[in-house]
Amino acid sequence: MIPLEYYLVVSAALFSLGLFGLLTRKNAINVLMSVELIFNSGNINLVAFSRFVSGDLDGQVFALFVIAIAACEAAVALAIVMSLFRHLKSVSLEGASALKG
Amino acid sequence: METLAPKIIFWFFAALMLGSALIVVHGKNLVHSGFALLATFFSTAVFYALLGADFLAGAQVLIYVGGILILLLFGVMLTNRIFDVNLRTETFQVVPSALVSAGVFAMLTLVILKTPWRQVSLLEEGPTTEKIGNLLVTTYLLPFEVVSVLLLVALLGAAMLVRRRSDL
Amino acid sequence: MIGGVTVQRLDTIASLKYFTPEIVVVFTMMAVLLLDLVAMKRSRGERRVLIVAPALIGLAVALFYSVRLAESPAAGLFSGMVAQDGFGSVLRIVFLVTSIFVLLFTLHSRELSSVHPGELVVLLLTVTAALMWMSNAVNLLMIYLALETVSIASYIMVGYLKGDRLSNEASLKYILFGAISTGTMLFGMSLLYGLAGTLDLYGIRSALANQEILVESGPALMVIILMVLAGIGFKMATVPFHFWCPDVYTGAPTPVTAFLSVGPKVAGFAVLVRFFYGGMARPEGEAGFAMVGAVNWQAILIGISILTMTLGNVTALLQTNLKRLLAYSSIAHAGYIMMGAVVLSGEGIQAMVAYVVIYLFMNLGAFLVVIVVHNAVGSFDIKDYAGIWRRSPLLTVLMGIFLFSLMGIPPFAGFLAKWYVFAAVIRADLGWFAVVGVLNSAVGAFYYIKILKTMFLEGDDVPEPSSPLELHPMHAGLLLLLAVPNIIGLLLWGYLDRITEYSQKLLEIL
Repeated sequence: MIPLEYYLVVSAALFSLGLFGLLTRKNAINVLMSVELIFNSGNINLVAFSRFVSGDLDGQVFALFVIAIAACEAAVALAIVMSLFRHLKSVSLEGASALKG
Repeated sequence: METLAPKIIFWFFAALMLGSALIVVHGKNLVHSGFALLATFFSTAVFYALLGADFLAGAQVLIYVGGILILLLFGVMLTNRIFDVNLRTETFQVVPSALVSAGVFAMLTLVILKTPWRQVSLLEEGPTTEKIGNLLVTTYLLPFEVVSVLLLVALLGAAMLVRRRSDL
Repeated sequence: MIGGVTVQRLDTIASLKYFTPEIVVVFTMMAVLLLDLVAMKRSRGERRVLIVAPALIGLAVALFYSVRLAESPAAGLFSGMVAQDGFGSVLRIVFLVTSIFVLLFTLHSRELSSVHPGELVVLLLTVTAALMWMSNAVNLLMIYLALETVSIASYIMVGYLKGDRLSNEASLKYILFGAISTGTMLFGMSLLYGLAGTLDLYGIRSALANQEILVESGPALMVIILMVLAGIGFKMATVPFHFWCPDVYTGAPTPVTAFLSVGPKVAGFAVLVRFFYGGMARPEGEAGFAMVGAVNWQAILIGISILTMTLGNVTALLQTNLKRLLAYSSIAHAGYIMMGAVVLSGEGIQAMVAYVVIYLFMNLGAFLVVIVVHNAVGSFDIKDYAGIWRRSPLLTVLMGIFLFSLMGIPPFAGFLAKWYVFAAVIRADLGWFAVVGVLNSAVGAFYYIKILKTMFLEGDDVPEPSSPLELHPMHAGLLLLLAVPNIIGLLLWGYLDRITEYSQKLLEIL
């Protein structure tokens, strides 16, 4: 059987890759994809812990809700991206600089 | 021999997951990244199955692959003129970000390996669908209702943001 | 569980009667949704009223129920998902009052005059219900779910002015930053679940206090805390998760900004208190708490508080756009509010709640003035506020009240708020921390004064005779309504005993 730690390390790697994507990507949709990786890594943790540590299904139920929430977030994010695209004809984050940090 | 199959599956899909994730975060072509994401999501579903979460694996494929991924690909298609070479995406600050991510990964791995996770013996194996269903209408009834409100609002909001007539 | 009073867990049916405010708000939301559909044929003005009126009625009814519920005994509802206690009850009232005010703000706002308000009202009602859930949640799943509901509805509200590029950009930045923060928080929560074996905050507390885990779990717990703080800090807009705040506040329609500056921020603080005091601290002594677990999170939170108030105050000094300035001002105030939340005493929580209530009136008032001036002048730049004194003395005086209150000058209520918080901090033997707060308040005074100065004086070299600024009666009424608590606040000093007695209820939570 695969030990718990193996799953956790893989999900940590997934998280780190997602983080890398967030830090480097300019295209808003690419950033969204990276964020989805992060959500998935959290979910893997939850399911793995549910199996190994908790012995009940709480983690799986949480993961299920996260999937639903991520779907909502992706839908709204894409709607916002569409809306912005109409204005700028581009979804590069460099272009979205009318608001100065 | 019996315990070899899960190991092979695990390593294969772990490699697939991380490899495709690398393409997602660093690939030059946006559509390629989108399809790589498909592989990542699918590998995650396989992981869920390996962990005994059969319902969740199905839900992952249905919702993530069948829903979110399609949505993302639509987004890619609608915001780029795919007949141009416009799908090349640029990146910035690659090296410092890679160092930061590697650092985070190292730190997380260290923490994971050093922490004594208390492990219990497994509870009954078997299909989880009925148990999850039960939980959703007993213990987790409130979140279940709240998430339906969330879904309504997300639907509403997304539709409102995208429609053309602004005074409707 | 202060004083050993155990709290019962109620199942679904029994929980419902404690849930009336949220239920009323959700049903109102659905009613407004249907009414919007039905009213499609009517004229714009008629539709506006047809939608806003039922919403107001719904919120008022919910408010009535909330006040009644505030007297109820503490309980854990819905199989431990959500708590019912004094703390949550007071915050419920705060959210409902905020929503009522913001709903009224939307009625006469130049920014929102060109768009249909139907969805905005639906979103506002949903966020209100979600804020109430968020501030009462005591289970990791429920916290995460409610937080995301608030966030997603907020992202949409910020981008409501589809025709305005700034609004769109603001909502894109908001959602990307928010998704990153909440994704990180999720990872942290998953690790916490792994450490403790349960999603329930009180179960987590027991697990963390358990000796076996205590020993080796330090690093994991530190990582967990930092990651979860990503999500909570994002909602509270504290350093280093405040980056979205100025851009989003500036780009969003001002009524939405006003709402964001109070509602989700306060809910973030509620989650902070519940997560740390419920999951990582236990009651000790008369009205104090002791940390549980291997990490000294109090130190982390103190550090965040100091960084937040300092950054907020210093950056505000440089701003020329009033909405942006108020964004940084609200970041600074988040720092002050945190002071009350980190002192590990019941008094600190009481002070925090008092600050929050007063902050509602100060901040909403200031933003309403921004709306009124924008309606008349069409700009948010501070320099365009020059000479407002001559155009409308009443408006300037009221703005003065709000700004002095924000500054923390006696005899205004803002001073009382800061006094409570600083007193709680001093009594927790953290005198130096209070000094930092006082210094920051002093720095803060500069930019508030700058605004007032512009309104009063610089109009003298404006050549053309400016027309008097007519205040719409509703605006005048709302402004007065918001200003009055700021003034009489100090009169409450005499009622201190009564308030403390009532705030004792706040401590029933944990």
